[in-house]
Amino acid sequence: MKKLLVKILGNEKTQFIAIPVFSILISLIVGMAVIGLLGKYPATAYINLLQGSGLMPKPSYSAYQGMLTDFTSFLNMLTPMLFAALSVAVAMKAGLFNIGVSGQMLAAGFIATVTVGYSALPSAAAKPLVILVGIIVGMLVGGLVGFLKYRFNINEVVSTIMVNYIVQYLTSFFINTRYMDQISRQSKAISGASRLTLMDVPMAGLQVDLPLCVILAVLAAVLIRFFLDRTSVGFEIKAVGANRNAASYAGINVGKTMVLSMMISGALAGLAGVTYYLGYLQSIQPKVLASTGFDAIAVALLGNNNPVGIIFSSFLITAVTKGSSYMSSASGIDPEIASVITGLILLFSACSAFIRYQVGKWKTELEEAERRNADVNNNH
Amino acid sequence: MSEEYIVEMRHITKRFPGIVANDDVSIQIKKGEIYALLGENGAGKSTLMSMLFGMYEPDEGEIYVKGKKVKITSPNYATKLNIGMVHQHFKLVSNYTITENIIMGMEPVKKILGMFPSVDIKKANEEIRKLSEEYGLEVEPTQVIEKVNVSIRQRVEILKMLYRQAEILIFDEPTAVLTPQEIEFLLQIIRNLRDSGKTIILITHKLEEIKQVADRCAILNHGKIVDILDVASTSTKKMANLMVGREVSFSVEKAEPKFGEVILDVKDISVHNQDRFEVVKHVSFQVHRGEIFAIAGVSGNGQVELADAVAGLMKVSGGTITLKGRDITHESIRRRTEMGISYIPEDRQEYGLLLDFTLKENLAMKSYYKEPFSGKNGILKRDEFEKYGKRLIEEYDIRSGQGTVTQVRSMSGGNQQKAIIAREIELQSDLMIFVQPTRGLDIGAIENIHKQIIAERDKGKAILLISLELDEIMSCADTIGVIYNGAIDKIAPADTLSTSQVGEFMMGVKHK
Repeated sequence: MKKLLVKILGNEKTQFIAIPVFSILISLIVGMAVIGLLGKYPATAYINLLQGSGLMPKPSYSAYQGMLTDFTSFLNMLTPMLFAALSVAVAMKAGLFNIGVSGQMLAAGFIATVTVGYSALPSAAAKPLVILVGIIVGMLVGGLVGFLKYRFNINEVVSTIMVNYIVQYLTSFFINTRYMDQISRQSKAISGASRLTLMDVPMAGLQVDLPLCVILAVLAAVLIRFFLDRTSVGFEIKAVGANRNAASYAGINVGKTMVLSMMISGALAGLAGVTYYLGYLQSIQPKVLASTGFDAIAVALLGNNNPVGIIFSSFLITAVTKGSSYMSSASGIDPEIASVITGLILLFSACSAFIRYQVGKWKTELEEAERRNADVNNNH
Repeated sequence: MSEEYIVEMRHITKRFPGIVANDDVSIQIKKGEIYALLGENGAGKSTLMSMLFGMYEPDEGEIYVKGKKVKITSPNYATKLNIGMVHQHFKLVSNYTITENIIMGMEPVKKILGMFPSVDIKKANEEIRKLSEEYGLEVEPTQVIEKVNVSIRQRVEILKMLYRQAEILIFDEPTAVLTPQEIEFLLQIIRNLRDSGKTIILITHKLEEIKQVADRCAILNHGKIVDILDVASTSTKKMANLMVGREVSFSVEKAEPKFGEVILDVKDISVHNQDRFEVVKHVSFQVHRGEIFAIAGVSGNGQVELADAVAGLMKVSGGTITLKGRDITHESIRRRTEMGISYIPEDRQEYGLLLDFTLKENLAMKSYYKEPFSGKNGILKRDEFEKYGKRLIEEYDIRSGQGTVTQVRSMSGGNQQKAIIAREIELQSDLMIFVQPTRGLDIGAIENIHKQIIAERDKGKAILLISLELDEIMSCADTIGVIYNGAIDKIAPADTLSTSQVGEFMMGVKHK
């Protein structure tokens, strides 16, 4: 057993992928045990999750619905999650914990809604404008947090939480007093022209929702990776995140770099905001922060703050979340169990450092034993 | 047979991921002797003693204390077995008095009015005073820790052990932070302790101390016992050779200096630390081309802040710093680096390196943003990092597990330092600041770094060397400045000062 694990996980070059996959597998197995305890078939439940996310065909569909419908609606949910997780990751690379992604999302979503969403602009102008407003608003809010940290040394965890509250209550004030839809008790729906998801597009005989920005999100992940790994500014951000003292010793302007990385993080959160409130949804519920911004922290950690890793981790977590309602209706398992599985995945991923340590230890022991055997053989 | 040995460690093996810290080590320590553990950094001395003190448990092997087999699972249990340890970093509460620090956890209690329990501090003070006199420790029990110097703090640690009835006293590199006079005093205390029947284990890499006090000495190299010697009948030279595993020379060869023009001119600078306390007070000095200007001083007298101020890591609150005739007092760190300052900081892991970055990234850590490492568009050129890294690894003999892509954290202290020195020399700066360049390094590495410093001087660099090791100052310096309490009171050519004179200035004893 030890030997097998060391063989699979011991190679330092493949560890970065082998260990996350290993911990996800373990958590899925534990998840199966949980489902089994509830007296349901674990395999069926997992298949239901995939079916609900449009990754496997369901046994039957209603009119104009199909696997493609489910899949694009899955992508619709994935887009803001991917942006939000990237936002968390960029800040994390600079050693900052952006717990205020939800607030930045709401600020960007709200401003974009009232400026562009309620305007009569045509689609070709409105959609790029929504994206632009999202980026700028997010960047400003993130930049503010970075500035507070740089100028007054205010801990970003505190300031982002405070900004969350401020944004939450300010926006609900305006929605309640000016933009309320009396029937839905939410903000009035935005114009179709400004929505970043095309609704009910006929395609292959089905009606599907097309999230236009999912490609942008994947592109952003690749771009962020390039930026962090291959540019001198990215080098500075990572250096500041790794050790502020050493970074400043190397001549890096630590304060400027922190503000910059919070601005980038905020811009990505802004993108998450507009794809959420003006894409996945079309209105804003007052006094509620999107859970996406918080789940994104976990997704970023699962992806090891690596932009490409985050593409996979957000895919996985969104699949579990999205598929949960179908799992619940198809096999009668409460949708909360999906959250349990998500929780398990995160729990075991958080143990990855321990797994690495343990495997390393076993490896040394085995090598030691082997060396001794060799010694014994030589002596004979 | 175990009767005569108070401590026996048999066939101890301890592994950490990737290394075997102790490999089948056996030592036997007699009651009432001073037993030294000698070895280079990373030889496994501290690990071995940490196991005796219960901070780690051995993977294999057995420990016997007073003839009984024991499993020491925690420092508390070690204390119960009458084992005490003075760590390299003292564990004291700085705003408590000496007595309070010592009795903490086992305070004598009296009852006020027969019912309210309270600490009987008077009785405790009396006890501590008596204990201090008994062993010649000379401490005043009512003084507050933050007001007393390192040497006294160390004696407080010793009293802490004695108060807990320790019979076996472990000292981990006790002289690293002391001046020559203080070292003498400590060694005398250690002798007193032995004479009153205590058993002493001394971890050190300083040969003279062993020669002076120890009865027997075990030499460790790479986690294994190389030899166990009777100190009186063995020469220092032989011990050094056994410890390093090859021949070493003690003296540094050095040609006459040729001073050129003034490179660094520091005029009347003062520095305040974060607590707004003036740590550097109106310091002035000059360093010339081709000169090694060494600043001697006991740790914590402002020398690190002085170096940080010259390099730009700390702001000055007064005075001017001039480099090659240009005022740099308010320039940024990067600007100073570009104008010609190299800086080998005291804390190489916290300041000098990005431990989680690769070796090649660390080697280019101060020049990544310009040609040839980055183009005008700000995009890094990976092959340039690789090429540069390879060249420096080759030229400066930096050893690492995976070459240019090794994580610096995994490298040994000596090789980390080699990497920093390589990077700083390659900057081709006119001024090089070395702070504690050989701290924690083994004899071989120290020799090598001293050679490099002198070679840089001979190339016409101005060198500012700050060190706590008086030997290092005496063997490298052309000019010596002594810093005491933030002020440099004495600057003189090195050949006009003797070691003991410098030692006296370090203690603040002023001559007319």
